[in-house]
Amino acid sequence: MNKLVLIAGGSALVYAGLALLMGVLPGIELSRTPAGPGVEPLTPLQAEGRDVYVANGCGYCHTQQVRPLPQDKIFGRASAPGDFAYQTPELLGSERTGPDLTNAGVRQPSTVWQFIHLYNPRAVVPESIMPAFDWMFKVVEQAPAGTTPVPLPKAYAPAKGVVVPAHQAEALVAYLLSLKQPALPDLATHDGGSATPGVSSASPAGAAVAS
Amino acid sequence: MSQILGREGEHRAQASVFVAYTAAATLWLLFATAVGLVLAYKFGAPDFARGEFLTFGRLRPIHTNATLFGWASLALVGLAYYVTPRSCGSPLYSAKLAWIGLALFNVAAVAGTIALDLGYNAGSLEYREWPWPIRLILLAALAVTAWNLIGTIARRDTEDIYLSNWYIVGGVLWACIFSLVAILPWYQYGLGQVSVSGYYMHNAVGMWFTPLTLGMLYYALPKTLSRPIYSYALGVFAFWTNLVFYPIIGSHHFLFSPLPWWLQTTAIVFSVAMLVPVWGGSSNFLLTMRGRLRDLVHSYPLMFIFVGVIGYVVGSTQGTFEAFRSLQEVWHLTNFTVGHSHLTMYGFVNFAIWGGVYALLPLATGKAPGPLGLSLHFWMAVVGSFIYVISLSIGGTIQGLDWMRGAPFIQSVVDIQSYWVWRGVGGVLMFLSHIVFAWNVWRMCFGPSAEAAPLAAEGAAV
Repeated sequence: MNKLVLIAGGSALVYAGLALLMGVLPGIELSRTPAGPGVEPLTPLQAEGRDVYVANGCGYCHTQQVRPLPQDKIFGRASAPGDFAYQTPELLGSERTGPDLTNAGVRQPSTVWQFIHLYNPRAVVPESIMPAFDWMFKVVEQAPAGTTPVPLPKAYAPAKGVVVPAHQAEALVAYLLSLKQPALPDLATHDGGSATPGVSSASPAGAAVAS
Repeated sequence: MSQILGREGEHRAQASVFVAYTAAATLWLLFATAVGLVLAYKFGAPDFARGEFLTFGRLRPIHTNATLFGWASLALVGLAYYVTPRSCGSPLYSAKLAWIGLALFNVAAVAGTIALDLGYNAGSLEYREWPWPIRLILLAALAVTAWNLIGTIARRDTEDIYLSNWYIVGGVLWACIFSLVAILPWYQYGLGQVSVSGYYMHNAVGMWFTPLTLGMLYYALPKTLSRPIYSYALGVFAFWTNLVFYPIIGSHHFLFSPLPWWLQTTAIVFSVAMLVPVWGGSSNFLLTMRGRLRDLVHSYPLMFIFVGVIGYVVGSTQGTFEAFRSLQEVWHLTNFTVGHSHLTMYGFVNFAIWGGVYALLPLATGKAPGPLGLSLHFWMAVVGSFIYVISLSIGGTIQGLDWMRGAPFIQSVVDIQSYWVWRGVGGVLMFLSHIVFAWNVWRMCFGPSAEAAPLAAEGAAV
């Protein structure tokens, strides 16, 4: 019996200690990371869009983390700890089958483009392999007052009627357009003024890697 | 006399537990890999099987969770329920608890699959996507299993506890702990959750699937070879080093992320340290097989185990190298990672499970599969997974190099296309091999060759 207590109990105890050290304690400490300058919580509609993003597993192909590496500069400045203060669940992701979306709202600020792309990505990017999210749209005979139909190319438009976004698509696009990196003011001087607002490429970690 | 009958009844009860877990696991394997095939096909034909309930982002976590918690977990627990009583010389503590555990595992996996398909995804956090109430059911299944196995070991007829049970009981207890850590929400906000994700996703693999697989191998390999393990002490050494090093390496999934740099560096250092238990464990298995090449090529269970051990050492060593910052610069976030996860979960865990099932299930049921089924399964699985891993490793490298040379992003999607086709080819072979495996399991559990002794089966089946 004693040996069993030693092996089962001992190893469970050691593991519990390590779980505390590597899981729980860093979690407690990092959960307190304050929001960076200009990092704002989402509006209710954007937050709803984030739920749509999670429910449909967008994060399995799109990361939301810009690394301090040269090849990531096209996606924005390197992500800083303060960027994630309001991001629960975290959506950093582990694969980049599609591009990083940290700055999607800066890169593609057009609502119309986002709707067409969501309805069928190949309508705007022929080589894209992103799924079509046409089920987030409705086909109606005539767009209701105050709604603009999605201007789809003929090859992708339904034979009859027009396409209007359903609520899910509206929320998701609101979320995608909200994805903009706030500039880090104290570092902006480093990279000689980035042309795109919110897209500055230098960070302390970036400089460390480059040197 | 009644004592003998009692023993007989216990063995029958244990065999039916083993059979039920293996059969359920096999169904999950077929389901999970069928979903995997649909996913692989979508890379080339993104408009195939479109719509809310078949969209890529919902099927992907269904594939991974069904593989991990439906197939691999059930298969390994089923094997543990055979290995632990046998190596302890004692009956299973409670067959009833084993059945309750089986029901809980399956309820969790079915409910989790349905939830994910309906869009109830708990944050796209890898391998813990099931909503938390469902993960509590999984935790209950693990707790029941731990209780049952500890109870069995407590009734052993020797003072010593055989090495297999160290790994098995350790693995089940650790799984209870990391599952709980992953569920509790209080320290999982923003970046805090990122660190927990890193911890959890690697511990789920290395503190659950790895120890249960190794524990099973420490029984199945000596049993099949009728020869003791090369070094018991080396196995104990690998046990403790795996326990101390593995929990620390999780953050290497988030290299170059905003997680503290020291946390990432610590993870890299211990990823290198992992070479100690990995090479210790795998050389222990290989040295046990040394000089028995002739037996190896004449025994499919041993061939499966051999591939599993090779998968363990190659996959884990690759993991160490992937953790280096210089190589992560190329491979991080590419399909290379998907190749790596299949090399380890498939090349190591799956092959070891199959070797264990083919070695031990016939001993429990007295029925054996035929040589045709065994060879078809083995060769299709080996060739299929080889094609799968090689194509994604090359394709992933090309993706990473495309990004580094600053090509437009879509170029990386175009350049990997043909490698995704090859991945699909490998995937088809793997899936076909699983159908054959299901046929073999059928023969081992319910097959007609009921009278055939396990060792005579080879001749009888032709």
